[in-house]
This record gives sequence, C-alpha cells and structure tokens, in this order.
Amino acid sequence: MKPLENKLALITGSGRGIGKAIALKLASQGCDIVVNYFRRREAAEQTVEELKQLGVRVDLVKANVGDPAKIDEMFDTIAERHGHLDILISNAASGVGRPIMEIDSKAWDWTLDINAKALLLCAQRASALMEGRGGKIVSISSLGSKFVWPTYAAVGVSKAALEAVTRYLAIEFIPKGISVNAVSASAVETEALKFYIREGLVKDVKQTTPVGRMVTPEDVANVVAFLCSEEAFMIRGQTIIVDGGTCVAPWTSIVAKGED
Amino acid sequence: MTVEEQVKDIVSKIAHIDKEIMSREATFKEMKADSLDVVQALVAVEETFDIEIPDEEAQKFRNFGDFVAFVEQEVSKKG
Repeated sequence: MKPLENKLALITGSGRGIGKAIALKLASQGCDIVVNYFRRREAAEQTVEELKQLGVRVDLVKANVGDPAKIDEMFDTIAERHGHLDILISNAASGVGRPIMEIDSKAWDWTLDINAKALLLCAQRASALMEGRGGKIVSISSLGSKFVWPTYAAVGVSKAALEAVTRYLAIEFIPKGISVNAVSASAVETEALKFYIREGLVKDVKQTTPVGRMVTPEDVANVVAFLCSEEAFMIRGQTIIVDGGTCVAPWTSIVAKGED
Repeated sequence: MTVEEQVKDIVSKIAHIDKEIMSREATFKEMKADSLDVVQALVAVEETFDIEIPDEEAQKFRNFGDFVAFVEQEVSKKG
C-alpha cells in the first residue's frame, strides 16, 4: 500500500509549476488530488490527465484564492463532493513586481490577499474537513521573505506574512491533530520565473547556487511530500529552505562575479 | 447594455478611468491603466461573462478595442 493511499489533497495553484509537481509527487504516493486553478484552464486540464495516469482520483476546481468568497465556494464544492480533506498545500501565488515606492494599496492587497490571506482562510476551512482525521498543511514560501530582491517587495512581504501565519496555525492546530509547515525555495525553474529572467532580475542563478544547478519544482515537491508524511510528525511551524546551499553561502555570488 | 458598454463599465471602475477617455483605439497605457489594472479587469470580465481570456490572447491586445472584440467573440460563441 502506498503511503498516501485513501488520502485527499487540495493543492492550490496546481495547474502548472511547483503546484503541479507537488500534485504529481503526492499522487505517485497514492494520494487523490483536487487540482485548483485560477486562469489557466488548459494547463490544469493537462495536469488532471497526467495525474489520472498515476491511477488516483482527480478533481478540478476553479477558484481565485485572492477572493474570500471564491475560497468558500471551493471548499463548499470539496465538502459536497468529497466530505473530507487530509492535506492542504497552499501554493497559489501572484504578485506585483514594483519598486517599493510604486506599491499602492491595490497592489499590496492583491499580493497579500493571494499569497498570505489565502493560507489563513483555506486553513480555517480545511481544518473543518480534516476533523477527526488528522491532517497536514504545507504552505509554499520563497527566500524573498528574508532577503531583498529588486521589485520583489510586495511578494517578499507577503511571504513573510505567510510564514508567520504558518507558525501560528502550527501551534493553534495541534489540538486538531493537524501539522503545519512551510517550504521556502530560492529561484525555481518555472514559467513564473521567466518573467523575472525577461526583466533581467535573475541572472546566473546556476552559477551562484553552491550545488551548481537551479532548484526544480520536483526538489520542492520532495520536501513537501516528506512534510506530509508521518516521519515529519515532530516538525511544526517550520519553514524548510530548499535552495541548494545559497543561504548558507552568500559569498558564492561574490566569487562567481569575481571570476567574470 | 452592450458587451462593449459592460466591459467599459468594469474597466473604468477597476482602473478608475474616466469613461470619456476610453475608446477602442486607446491603449491601456494611454488610459493610464497599469499591469495590475489589466489583470484585475481580465478577471472581472471573465467572471461577469463566464468566459476565459488566456494570457496568450491578452498579450495580443494592442488596444481597448482588441480586448472588447475578443470578449464579444467569446460571448457570441456561448450564444
């Protein structure tokens, strides 16, 4: 029997990128999957087909997690169709890439709503569906919560908030039998990253990562899957960093630049 | 209310644009709508008309008229 057989996971923003890799990883361990997407229906439908080939049951729910009413609708749908939930991966993210002086109230709200408030609201609704079954919640953060990248202020702040929400959930959900953690990655090879490469914000990431390659969505998915396992029982409220050593060796970029 | 009038209504509310300066020939930049305004307008229009506007299509819009024309086309497809 596979470790996650008869479990059901909702992964927000799982039509593509990191969310898709997490869905595929959990499905490979026998987990049934609810794929959530917002705007890329074709990509989400493709993901559903790939998941089905792994022999698990797959559901598809469209929702903008930046909108509390849509979050409620999504969980109402899951409650009606499945009646329970075992795993929530809060992965969907968006953001406005601007210098801090150009971040207006609307840009702030858009970014914080999708990246941080969604975790709070999804976790609240998910916890009810996890009652009596235990449960795992994993949020996806980024190193921008601690480090400063050009035009990343709004997203970085939202990720810092997400990590704080993760810590509070982790402790307050202990009586519910739900463990909560976050996984934080440096620049990950996804479609979303292409935006930053196009803007010239990410250069030579491979060169500046001590292990010599970029983080892949699968690298992130592997850690998420571990946090969803019973082996991770004693890990609570932590943000696990997946960065190939970048954080502990910031000088790597300096040395790399020096060699140019 | 025509599709164009409804789209105008949505975009003007989201991006705080005076309807007077909204014409089919105007670009979003000329209307002072930033990239977030455009994304939020796309989302609101998708929800209002129950259609989908793929990013690949949205990137082709040269002006407000292209946006309206795409929405009109999708709405007519739905009958």
